[in-house]
Amino acid sequence: MKRTSLRNVFKGNKLFLVSIGLVLFCLTALLNVVLANSADSATLSFWLWKFLGRLHPLMVHFPVGLLIFAALLEFFTLKNFTSSLRPGINILVIAGVATAALSVAFGLLLAEDGDYGEDLLFLHQWIGIATFLLALLTWYQLKVAGKENNTAKVRSYRLLLFLTAAGVSVAGHYGASLTHGKDYLSSTLPWNESVDKHLAESSSVSALMASNTTTLTPKQEVELNVQVRAILAHNCYQCHGEEKIKGELRLDKKEFVFKGGENGPVIVPGNTKESELYRRITLPIGHKDAMPSKGKRLSAADVAVIEFWIQKGAPWPDGVDNQNLFKIAELAPRNPDLPAEVNGLANPIDRFVNQYFIANKITWPEVVDDKIFLRRVFLDIIGLLPTPAELKSFIEDARPNKRELWVRALLNRGDQYTAHWITFWNDALRNDYTGTGYITGGRFNITDWLYNSIKTNKPYDKFTQELVSPTEESKGFIEGIRWRGAVNASQTTEMQAAQNVAQVFLGLNLKCASCHNSFVSDWKLTDAYGFANIFSDSSLEINRCDKPTGKYTSPRMLWKELGSIDSSATRKVKMSQLAANIIKPENGRYYRTLVNRIWAQLMGRGLIEPVDIMDNDPWNQDILDWLAFNFQHNGKDIKELIFLITTSKAYQLPSVGFKAQNEVMMQQYVFKGVVRKRMTAEQFADAAGMVVGPIFPDSIMMYKPKFDMPSDPAIPIFARASFVANNSLLTALGRPNRENVSTSRESQANLLQALELTNGERFNSAMKRGAEKWKQQYKTSDAIINELYSRALGRAPQPKEFVAAMKLLGANPSVDSIQDLFWAMLLLPEFQIIY
Amino acid sequence: MGNTTDRRKFLKTTSAAAIAALGAGVPMSSLLLNSCNSNKISSTADTVILLWMGGGMAHTETFDPKRYTPFTKGMQSNEVLSTFKSVPTALDGIYFSEGLESIGKVLDKGTAIRSYVAADLGHILHSRHQYHWHTCYKPPLSVLAPHIGSWISKELGPKNPVIPAFVDIGQRFTVGEGEELKAFHTAGFLGNEFGPFLIPDPSSGLESVRPPVGMNSSRFEKRNQLYNDLISQGAAGEFGSDYQKESLKRSMEQAYMLLNSPEAAAFDLSKEPKASYDIYNTGKFGLGCLMAKRLTEQGARFISVTTEYEPFKQWDTHENGHTTLAEMKKVIDAPIAQLIKDLDESGRLDRTLIILASEFSRDMMVEGRPDLKVTEQVDQPEVIDDIKNYGMHRHFTDGCSMLMFGGGIKRGNVFGKTADERPCKTIENPIVIDQVHQTIYHALGIPPDKHYLVEERPFYSTPDGLGKPVMELFA
Repeated sequence: MKRTSLRNVFKGNKLFLVSIGLVLFCLTALLNVVLANSADSATLSFWLWKFLGRLHPLMVHFPVGLLIFAALLEFFTLKNFTSSLRPGINILVIAGVATAALSVAFGLLLAEDGDYGEDLLFLHQWIGIATFLLALLTWYQLKVAGKENNTAKVRSYRLLLFLTAAGVSVAGHYGASLTHGKDYLSSTLPWNESVDKHLAESSSVSALMASNTTTLTPKQEVELNVQVRAILAHNCYQCHGEEKIKGELRLDKKEFVFKGGENGPVIVPGNTKESELYRRITLPIGHKDAMPSKGKRLSAADVAVIEFWIQKGAPWPDGVDNQNLFKIAELAPRNPDLPAEVNGLANPIDRFVNQYFIANKITWPEVVDDKIFLRRVFLDIIGLLPTPAELKSFIEDARPNKRELWVRALLNRGDQYTAHWITFWNDALRNDYTGTGYITGGRFNITDWLYNSIKTNKPYDKFTQELVSPTEESKGFIEGIRWRGAVNASQTTEMQAAQNVAQVFLGLNLKCASCHNSFVSDWKLTDAYGFANIFSDSSLEINRCDKPTGKYTSPRMLWKELGSIDSSATRKVKMSQLAANIIKPENGRYYRTLVNRIWAQLMGRGLIEPVDIMDNDPWNQDILDWLAFNFQHNGKDIKELIFLITTSKAYQLPSVGFKAQNEVMMQQYVFKGVVRKRMTAEQFADAAGMVVGPIFPDSIMMYKPKFDMPSDPAIPIFARASFVANNSLLTALGRPNRENVSTSRESQANLLQALELTNGERFNSAMKRGAEKWKQQYKTSDAIINELYSRALGRAPQPKEFVAAMKLLGANPSVDSIQDLFWAMLLLPEFQIIY
Repeated sequence: MGNTTDRRKFLKTTSAAAIAALGAGVPMSSLLLNSCNSNKISSTADTVILLWMGGGMAHTETFDPKRYTPFTKGMQSNEVLSTFKSVPTALDGIYFSEGLESIGKVLDKGTAIRSYVAADLGHILHSRHQYHWHTCYKPPLSVLAPHIGSWISKELGPKNPVIPAFVDIGQRFTVGEGEELKAFHTAGFLGNEFGPFLIPDPSSGLESVRPPVGMNSSRFEKRNQLYNDLISQGAAGEFGSDYQKESLKRSMEQAYMLLNSPEAAAFDLSKEPKASYDIYNTGKFGLGCLMAKRLTEQGARFISVTTEYEPFKQWDTHENGHTTLAEMKKVIDAPIAQLIKDLDESGRLDRTLIILASEFSRDMMVEGRPDLKVTEQVDQPEVIDDIKNYGMHRHFTDGCSMLMFGGGIKRGNVFGKTADERPCKTIENPIVIDQVHQTIYHALGIPPDKHYLVEERPFYSTPDGLGKPVMELFA
């Protein structure tokens, strides 16, 4: 009985025999692998093993197809085990088992031969082997079920078959991930691309490449390295990373990159020609060595960065692989020693600049004459032109320290000073009279608070405190702009507050990190949420790229050195804690940020640019640190800061012009004097108003400050541009719509602007009104021309200019011709530029 | 042969680019670091005309009509899908809503898209959805997003240096929600240079491009002469050369060129032959279409003509939907059809992409999406007794109609489909705003991953650079 059944088994199951043979074969292969691991690897290089190993990717398609198809047919015949499909299914199962055995065997050989990362391979290998065993079991159960035709047996066979089908799918998936890269499949799904697109591009690297720098500073090395790693990550890691190590080459860590691959090093620092990596990324498409072998070619820009990097010795500073890729400026205040007074340079700024000039081989130019100085300082401090009378009186003033005295007097013209500086703060605090949000009560104006704060020269720490931990009058800045409807998680009013406080007071860009971990700084998503939670009564759920993560974090400062926030406190209490923490003496960054902004307003370029990225290097650290430290210790007095800067010799040097705007912003900028500025929209409108008569009627003022009556009747009172709603003229001249914090103005002219000035109704009708008055007031063309030059440019017309103007006006000037003369004068670069 | 054509085309594009560069001056945006990794795309259009149906144009009442139920007192609201009859178009078996016969007759020259799905922005607010449509970004944002016209102006510059690259016709900003409209009628971070040239009223469009009111050309000429004399004879040398001064001078020269150029006559509608003028003249919108035609003939780049959005006016029907739409169709039907015919006849349609769109659609019953509950919605009685309740008064986002003509788009085509029963939502080939923008950019040869670094972050023409053009729309 026993013998018969055994024989029957053997007799009726030739295939079974074959499969037993395969199992043995498989075990041999496994043994081989085990042996090889412990012994000499030479055994492995036997060509047949290699050959069979490489058949694995071909072979695997058989069990996958056969077994899944078998499962499918089984599924469709669930009702009837003995359907006509039965013999076919049986064959499919048997063939599936056999080919699965071969696949496993070949796979084990390939694993030794191929260059695959550990984790994925481990998964693929063991799921594959387990699936094979399942398949074997399935087949056995099929035999049993076929014989006994018992429902329970049939059921367990079917279950096994479906499990096997699932197994080959999973194993197949991991196998494909090994071959094509992990995200081969998923990367095509629309929801899986998002942040990878944010390439870590660096503007400074392009600038660096454009310059002829021979040696890189450590900071430049880091920047370049970040860019290179971003390129490698996006183009090479799929096959040369942790998961998969083609050609024994990994490009994701310093040690691997320089170790190279199976054919030796791929990078020869300083020598692109000898660098295999460079050779391969520059080979034509279709060349067998060209890299990346699959997917998109590197862009020309990327190749150029790699080339530059290798030429520069392939810098890869230690430690950059882990953290702190990006420089974060020192937080603490610093009080550098004040250099000794030399050559009568008393102003602290000048003492530092003197050292800077010596180091940069620059000789002090002569300071500008009285006329230029007065125009400059008027526009910078009160946003108006000096009247001819003021200019005359200044020039005639014989006091040796008259410039200091006049600066002091200008700073004391409270209303005019405020009418000018409120524009700067309106931009920064995005305070406006009209704009989005107001329509549904989702925005608050802070003009009255702001006006009074500037006018009373509120100490900067108090000013900050009242904005960050606001009263009803000053809450507009923190409350932000609330749009109705669903808002992106990175634009909730709490997150707006976090971003804006960081930007305005700390010169820090938190916008990237409020959506995902930043690619351009070390700020993380949790940092942004920790900061934003200060502005919220309840903890905000962390959203990554607008998708909820289910995670929360507690409210905290961006720098723990600045103190803590009580997470159980109310929003109001937390904001007052924040305000107290920000203005702490330890927070040198906060004071540096303000000092740098004021410097940029007056000098035309910050010590650090952009002024919102205080982690960039200043062109002179000592000046920045000294000014910030002394600002902090002298009453946080903005007017005093302005006084100090505008009375320095550095401020009084001849202005410097540039061929292109980006030359001003370059990190390699060298200070030689104030940068020539274009009048802002408000300065232009106000200056034009002083010359020819008000551009804006009082009736359109959105805010009417209570003026102190000026003691000097020569000081004009009219609707200043900073108090009217934004309009087409101001927009064209660069007044931003204050939907976002804005800390610098465009200074380049453009066509739309020129059109507005050339035929815009508002500007031209103001010229006309002015012309009518002048026609009454001045009887002769001579008088008109001389008065206009004196008021607009602070000088007499040159003979040729006089002739040209006379040609237009004639002996008996008409209103039209006076209007046209106004227009031509006010559009002259000499009028519009602050030099 | 192929070579010659290519070379000619190359020469044409390079010289156009050179002129464009000249026209734009040295862009402020040279400061913006831009890049895109894609290969160059060959363009199928040089000019884009956007016909904007501001306020929410109901698809079932316009280009995607459903079962018609005439008005009767006591009718059930939820039975009404269309309040107009369907009328045949140039395409067999394709119908438009009554009142759009003329546009229907030119459908053989373009594609009707019946599957635009507007975004769900929480509240259904016109200005917010319009912001999204025009910038492809949902407000608010931490940077100022540019209008699509500004992107195009930035990438391609003016086609003819004396015609501003981005002309916006017909929208006033003194209306309710004006500030919200201003928020997206901007070049944003690209810089004012690429902002819209605004012509709120086309019948006085000429005023924008001619010497100031009351100034004749000889006076204008003299004024300009004086300016040049004062610049050249004044103390110019004293302050050296710099970019601000250069750009000031250059921009003034350009303005002078524009105001003095024969092409500026394109803005002068009185120069149009009377017969043609009369066809177009259905009011402000019709004249806007006429100006768009004239500007296209002179080499415009991007023109937006709007029926104008004003809360509760035009397409924004919160009541009297049927009666209002009958009027609106009279406003748009003839001029749009004529615009297409005129451009087709002059051969310009091949390189001019015309798009008709609205921020979302309308329905009588559903507010927002079929599966959403929205609290603020128009009251619609279950039984209609008054004709003022007969019309599509609620906002609907799940199925909207668009039209595209010319610029490489298939002729005589219908793309996408909505359900024939309520909710009449998109059931085939849905497309979203990112795809619409990328389709327009693709036609213009602007690569899909165009982006600029703003505050250290890449800002793409469509969010994260993920938008893809709908290639099936192209011939």
